Amino acid sequence: MEEVDMCRECGCGSSRDDNTIKIFKPSEIVEGITISHHEHSNQLHLERQQSISPKHINIDISLLHANNRIAERNRGFFYAKGLFVINMISSPGSGKTTLLAKSADLLHQKGLRLGVIVGDLASCNDASKLEKAGIPAVQVTTGRLCHLDAQMIFSALQRLPLDQIHVLVIENVGNLVCPGDFDLGEACRVVLFSVTEGEDKPLKYPYVFHSANLVIISKYDLAVAAEFDESSALENVQRISHHAQIIKVSSKTSEGLEQWINWLVKTREEFLKGQCVEPIYSHH
Amino acid sequence: MHELSLIQEAIRIAEAHAKAANANCINRIILRVGALTGAVPEALEFAFEVARQGTLAENASLEIETVDPCVSCLDCGHQYNCEGWELICPQCGSFNAKIIKGLELDVKTIEVA
Repeated sequence: MEEVDMCRECGCGSSRDDNTIKIFKPSEIVEGITISHHEHSNQLHLERQQSISPKHINIDISLLHANNRIAERNRGFFYAKGLFVINMISSPGSGKTTLLAKSADLLHQKGLRLGVIVGDLASCNDASKLEKAGIPAVQVTTGRLCHLDAQMIFSALQRLPLDQIHVLVIENVGNLVCPGDFDLGEACRVVLFSVTEGEDKPLKYPYVFHSANLVIISKYDLAVAAEFDESSALENVQRISHHAQIIKVSSKTSEGLEQWINWLVKTREEFLKGQCVEPIYSHH
Repeated sequence: MHELSLIQEAIRIAEAHAKAANANCINRIILRVGALTGAVPEALEFAFEVARQGTLAENASLEIETVDPCVSCLDCGHQYNCEGWELICPQCGSFNAKIIKGLELDVKTIEVA
């Protein structure tokens, strides 16, 4: 007869007689004795667990797990609804709002309606500006929070006329660091920087630039005045984000806007056919 | 300063696991942070000092294990460790790199009592 002094259900190491494993013949069973390998209660397990101090618990869960779950729910909703969503990230003042106001008209000519969710720490200036231009817009003010998260997007969606919108742009809080970590459920990420910010921006903020599907270099009408070195800028983007397409635009002169709108139309069509690439940052 | 949001989430995850194990307090939280993430270890530590107040992790220590970057060249298949975001392949000179390690941002282990 072999005896093992360990509870097989929980491995708790209890060596009480009644949880010793016994190998026996049926004829050996004596009337009145219950053969049980495991009679100690869960309470005993609990007490034994608590008496081991300290205790290590392996977790291995991403800090972004909760956000990513909501982002995936958003993504599924967008796909089912046929709503093409862009997460637009840049530093403050690089020309996101002006570009979007211009884009709405051009998209309209292609039969597509733009909607915008704007994230800022405070004020609703940007959303008001867009609304005045006839663009459905919702402002999310984050207080002191430096980024938008997936839950904020889900809440903001309730306030948009989604059935009338074909392209939804989420204009993230102006910041090239924090928004990078937070998947919102978008189909594509667009990272924007203006010529006045310098051609080495991608090298300074590689994490966000690496996650971009498209990089827009804005305010191109100021390139000469800002002594912007185009070839060095393009090389810097490619060093960090070899996969990203690059478009140079000027909202003032309309340079590059047609290319940007064509990119939106074409990428939206791919999205609707289910051909959109996996988000580059989906490392979780 | 999204490190505060991240560390609050770390404490939330740690507390949920500690409560499930009927623990009274958390002594130690170990995070795994890739060198290529947007999160700065010093900022995480600073945020932890604030965020742990009034939680089960009030007296806990925070340890951060950093993960060095490792990428795979999509052109020649070479796998290599790179210095920060210098993604260039030492074998073929391509920047066409897929990041394999370095983007981790996890609660790895907690120690409870």
